[in-house]
Amino acid sequence: MADLGGIRAETVLMTNTPTSSRPWGSFRAKFILVVGGAVLIDLLISGGLALWNVQRLSRDAAEEVGHGLEQASQDYIRTYANSTAAQVSLLLGQVNNDVGVLADVLQEQIDSPQRQADIGSAISGTSPDSVRLSFNPAGKWAQNAPGAPSVVSAWGYLLDKDHSPRPDVQAEIQASSILDLVAPSLLKSGSSKLQMYFIGPKERPIFRTAPYTDQAQTFDRLYPGHNDANFWDFFFPGLYESWQSWATGAGSQPVPDDITQTAPYTDAITGKQIVSFFHPLWSADRKTVAGTAGADITLDQLAETVENVKVAESGFGFLAMSDGNVIAISKDGEKTIGLRSASDTKGTGVTGLERSLKGSSQPAIAELANNPGTGIRHLLLDQNGETVPFMVIMKELPPVNLWQPGLVRKDAMSLGIVVPEREIYASLFAAQAKISDATNRIVLYQILAILLSLTIVTMAVLAVSKRITGGISALAGAARRIQAQDYSVRVAVASRDEVGEASEAFNRMAEQISYHTENLEQLVEERTAEIEDAKEEISILNAQLERENRRLGTELAVAERIQMMVLPLASELSSSKDLEIAAYMSAADEVGGDYYDVLEADGRFKIGIGDVTGHGLESGVLMLMVQSVARALQEAGTTDPVKFLIDLNSALFKNIVRTRIDKHLTLAFLDYDGNDMFISGQHEEVIIVRANGALERIETMDLGLPIGLESDISSFVNTRKITLEKDDIIVLHTDGVTEAENAEGELFGIERLCEEAVRLHEQSADHIATGIIDKLMAYIGSHKIHDDITLLVLRHR
Amino acid sequence: MEIRDENFRIWAENECVYFDGVLRLAGPDAYAPIYSLAAAALHENNGRVIFDLTGLEFLNSSGINLLAKLTIEARKQSDVQLVIRGTAQYPWQSKSLPNLKKLFPQLDLQLA
Repeated sequence: MADLGGIRAETVLMTNTPTSSRPWGSFRAKFILVVGGAVLIDLLISGGLALWNVQRLSRDAAEEVGHGLEQASQDYIRTYANSTAAQVSLLLGQVNNDVGVLADVLQEQIDSPQRQADIGSAISGTSPDSVRLSFNPAGKWAQNAPGAPSVVSAWGYLLDKDHSPRPDVQAEIQASSILDLVAPSLLKSGSSKLQMYFIGPKERPIFRTAPYTDQAQTFDRLYPGHNDANFWDFFFPGLYESWQSWATGAGSQPVPDDITQTAPYTDAITGKQIVSFFHPLWSADRKTVAGTAGADITLDQLAETVENVKVAESGFGFLAMSDGNVIAISKDGEKTIGLRSASDTKGTGVTGLERSLKGSSQPAIAELANNPGTGIRHLLLDQNGETVPFMVIMKELPPVNLWQPGLVRKDAMSLGIVVPEREIYASLFAAQAKISDATNRIVLYQILAILLSLTIVTMAVLAVSKRITGGISALAGAARRIQAQDYSVRVAVASRDEVGEASEAFNRMAEQISYHTENLEQLVEERTAEIEDAKEEISILNAQLERENRRLGTELAVAERIQMMVLPLASELSSSKDLEIAAYMSAADEVGGDYYDVLEADGRFKIGIGDVTGHGLESGVLMLMVQSVARALQEAGTTDPVKFLIDLNSALFKNIVRTRIDKHLTLAFLDYDGNDMFISGQHEEVIIVRANGALERIETMDLGLPIGLESDISSFVNTRKITLEKDDIIVLHTDGVTEAENAEGELFGIERLCEEAVRLHEQSADHIATGIIDKLMAYIGSHKIHDDITLLVLRHR
Repeated sequence: MEIRDENFRIWAENECVYFDGVLRLAGPDAYAPIYSLAAAALHENNGRVIFDLTGLEFLNSSGINLLAKLTIEARKQSDVQLVIRGTAQYPWQSKSLPNLKKLFPQLDLQLA
């Protein structure tokens, strides 16, 4: 702990003062929450940004790699398709070439009839088996015996009565024997062919085929009735006619090539699926068909090429006719694209093979058949109940003339290559997996780094917070101890910062509290003594006040008594036969100094009204003196109102000086001798309402001076004569009437008073007085009445 | 120097004594401090002394007695020219102030 300096330590609280009562409400907890929260948010934001960037980088990389690999894969598969198509074309081209060579040789013979005959007879000589046919009674056709390089058959309708070939047919047989020379070598060389053959023109469609097979027998077995119809019409309806039309120029070749191909069919001789390639032969003048040269290849040969396609693990190829009929495909491939074979055994002609894409059990493949197109496409195929994406590329081969029963048309086969995408993209997936692995690793490291930072920061915050908040905790603990009335507590000043200053201040306060607490009893005793003294003083003052109050109360009571005693009796008011007099006086709470009088002597009436300044006993005494002097002067026969006032003032001034009564009064008199009325002395305005309601206000300012201010007022006193007629009224008042206030502090005023007097002037003096006072009281309402209110109403009877 | 309660305020500024508000004090004793303040102004100044009553809404009869005594006091001091400024706006002023002029004709009474 730091040096305690000058502070006397009685109990030093260590910084580990328990704050267990509020573990999460404590300053330290808040400090940790704030700092920890800030760091956490910072880490989360920076970490999140880093993770996001890594993810994005990874995604971009995977995309880029994927794009490249996909491009490469597609290029590969495209190239593969092109090369396979080239292979197939090559195979077919070779067959075409072989057929072309055979056709060229045969055409050469036709074009040179002499040489044809020579060669025919030469071969007949050397190889009679090639041209000598023997009748088969069962089949009703003639065929040469086995052993020759080729078999030649002459159908029943080509034989004469003795079952020998007609002479022209025999000539054709001899001419065709050249096949024996050419075909075997062609079969041996070039692409693998099943057989090569010559078929005669429609007039004599002999059928010579190398190598030798029991072809007529096979036909009998597979195609019953063939011997009864023309060979061409039976096996290839429409084909011959098409060629004929080419020769005559009536029709044109769909593809500019003599070679005409068949769709795959079951070979009558070998029973294999084959495709035939025909090259028609023409008469020397090229005006008509002179037969055909042909070659068959088994589908196996094409299939071999196509089935050799091996892309990735299980990619395969297929060859389809334009009508969607697949002519070559591996067994696995057939299964994959859902082909269903259906052999057509109906109808005439060679038997076809029906294995169309259109009949595929895979909807995507059926759709492909309807819209083959070219280029790469992605299909979803069902494989063992599971949908698997495949990549398919279709490549159209060069078009050919294709015979189908009835006509020859242009047709192009399509080569298709089908690869499961997961295989072609295997490397792509591998690359992406590696990128993903790397990303995950980075993410993991990043998270670990964040957690590690968080741990370090948390520990640092905990450690620092303990230091920072220790001082405050100690202060809080010490404050609680003080609350528990342990005033000996002191805080260790551990730092030079604000907390340290607070600690020092706290210690000073604790010291003061301690000092005051210890000295409290003494202080209480001192204060108690002081209070006792004060109390005694107060009770003395209280007694004085009481005496004073009593005296003042007595004084007021006496003053009020004097005021009431001085006022004239009711009988005095009604003593005049000419004047009806009504008087009203109301004393304020603290009696004011209003005075009125009616003095009568020898039929002369003197009506006085006045207002002594202030109130109390002195006012009462002054009033009494005024009344006494007035009475004395009246009795002494002072009839001159001016002299009356001058003498009264003189007497009173002297008495005021003697009695040191610091007051004066306003005072006015009305003198009435039965005829005229004289006003003298200074007081409020005198209001006169004539019998006809006309209002007159008489200002009295110039008729005198307040009594008791000056010893001699002779220069100020005057009189004013009023002629009074019957039913005229005079209203006298003190300022208590005009200066009465309502709740808003507005004065009743002389105007309102005049208004009321005019309003009520026809009534009796009493009624007028009562009416005005009612109006006045209604005006004042509940507001305070500050001064005495005095009203005198005189009415001339 | 200033005397005030919730209803009035009286204060001296140089040769001028201002009376403001409503004065309704009980009698000569209650008015004594005001008398002292105003009398001091009369004694301490030579030449003009001004009582400004233009802000005095109401003065009761004891107050008018005070003004009369002050006027008589001024009359005794020949070197003082007393000026009383009033206003006809408040009825009591036009009613009572002319009496002061009668007591002391040299008084300069300005009733605006």
